Amino acid sequence: MAIAMMENVVKHYKIGKVEVPALRGISLSIEEGDFASIAGPSGSGKTTMLNLFGCLDKPSGGRVYLNERDVSKFSSNKLADIRNHNLGFIFQTFNLIPVLTAFENVEFPLILLKKGKPKERKESVMNMLTQVGIGELAKRKPSEMSGGQQQRVAIARALVKGPKVVLADEPTANLDSVTGEGILKLMKEMNQRTKTTFIFSTHDPMVMGYARRLIRVHDGKIQSDERM
Amino acid sequence: MLFKLAFRNIFRHFTRTFLTFLAIAIGLMFMIIMDSMLTGIDQESFDRIINYETGHIKIFDRGYREDEENLPLDKAIEEPGAIIDKLEKDPDVAGVTSRINFRIMLSDGVDQYPAVGIAIDPADDESVFLLRKSIDKGVFFIGNEEAMLLGEGLAEDFGVGVGDYLTVLTRTKYDTYQALDLRIKGILRTEDPKIDWAAVVIPLGLGQESLDMGKGVTEIDIKLKDPTKTKQFRDKLAKEITGVEVATWQDLAEDVMAIAEAKRGGTFVMLFGIFLVALIGMTNTILLAVFERVKEIGMMAAMGMKRKQIVRLFMLEGAMIGLMGSIAGCLMAILLNIPFVKYGLNWGMYMRDMGDIGYRVTGVSRGVWNINMFVGAFIFGIVVSALTSFYPAWVASRMEPTEALKRV
Repeated sequence: MAIAMMENVVKHYKIGKVEVPALRGISLSIEEGDFASIAGPSGSGKTTMLNLFGCLDKPSGGRVYLNERDVSKFSSNKLADIRNHNLGFIFQTFNLIPVLTAFENVEFPLILLKKGKPKERKESVMNMLTQVGIGELAKRKPSEMSGGQQQRVAIARALVKGPKVVLADEPTANLDSVTGEGILKLMKEMNQRTKTTFIFSTHDPMVMGYARRLIRVHDGKIQSDERM
Repeated sequence: MLFKLAFRNIFRHFTRTFLTFLAIAIGLMFMIIMDSMLTGIDQESFDRIINYETGHIKIFDRGYREDEENLPLDKAIEEPGAIIDKLEKDPDVAGVTSRINFRIMLSDGVDQYPAVGIAIDPADDESVFLLRKSIDKGVFFIGNEEAMLLGEGLAEDFGVGVGDYLTVLTRTKYDTYQALDLRIKGILRTEDPKIDWAAVVIPLGLGQESLDMGKGVTEIDIKLKDPTKTKQFRDKLAKEITGVEVATWQDLAEDVMAIAEAKRGGTFVMLFGIFLVALIGMTNTILLAVFERVKEIGMMAAMGMKRKQIVRLFMLEGAMIGLMGSIAGCLMAILLNIPFVKYGLNWGMYMRDMGDIGYRVTGVSRGVWNINMFVGAFIFGIVVSALTSFYPAWVASRMEPTEALKRV
């Protein structure tokens, strides 16, 4: 069953008076439980695809479906709701809130979602931090953690609310290769354990090697789509 | 969580937050202290107007107030006795007396200064006024005698003291000249400039005789048992006594009250200007916070935080700085106001140079504890801080998550 889908999606950005095409008619279906990598060089359109699947942007043409709902024309508030309920994000630069501890960072989306009582929330957060291997760092602030530990917090934050899809934009780009591999293994493990769909972008062949599905994009078009 | 986040965010840049909070605290402190002093001066001024000049209610002959500036003697209450008798029987009245106000020139043979003569009834003046208690040197009148009480400012100007003589030059009711050489029996120190700097007080009998007033007086002054009932009592008297004008002290001090109000308004406009600078600092602080945290805002939006929640977060940060500034401002104001209330400020050296500015203050004036102002300033500090944070908060909420996340 398709959890996320693009139907002939076109996206262009206006830079000054010039319209720059980013996607030129993409049709793609992501199945539930996929561990899919969108790969391509800089400017190929992979981040734009993630932004559209992540309801952070709207297409210039075509349709984007999430969980069988056409989200192409939703208002920004409605998109915020969709993101809140259905999506988790992992960023290249981790983007943790520096004044909150690891525990509070992971708890944050649950509070936004108004999900669970404080006691239940605490259990969920600690469970997730333990699953990503940093349960003992719950009280540390981001500045007191390494890049790999911070990305683990970010993964826990993305997964804690049980989203349908987790989107990760070059999740290992700011990490050394060993730590990066560790993060990818963790993402894959979480994908298998929780059955959450992961879509991540990369241009790193090592990262591509972890994907079960590799979608190559070039100049805003899908070049290849293969299951590994 | 929003509270926790906002609270921790404001301490990300301690120095910046501290300076903003300090500016708000100092602005509020000045507002409170200025209000304390102005309210103190107002209250003292009004007390002195009542205690030395007007009582609570005054009765004049009809038409007197049209020409009040000139203190006309021909518009006198010719037979005050009946009215005074009636008033003395009124259960609402605490005291009644009568006076003659008249223009004079005061001379020592070398210099002469214009002044106001006040002829008072030594027997019952203190039932309404506090002149007897305000004798700084010498003694009060014992009945009708050929003597004067002199304001301390006039005594200083002439370089005279108790026992010295000055000449009072005036015109009688019938406009003929009159000159009286009077011994100074006492020096008055009321702290009301209208008395201390410009008044010569003589006994009513001497006044009536030398001004050809017969039994006439220019005013009857009343002190009420309940000072809050001045307007009702004025209206009652106006109906009961014909051929006279009745005025409350508020009616008579209308100009002074208007001047005080205008000065207060002007001062607060100036202070609001100072406070505005603090608020611009607040907007700047929050705006800087927004621009520093663009990526974080993008992340929060990506996680599903709605625009109104982002606005709320930044306004909360502004309100928290405002709250701390308000608490500190009120505490600083309390500490500073204690000596102002206890010891006051001495305006003496400025007031005389400034001339008649309406306030009845010649020396020390004290601040007051105006709880309403403290509460008002406290709430004002928080609310206005939150409101001035709205613009940067709105800027933050309008950021597109995709653009915000791209920022380095």
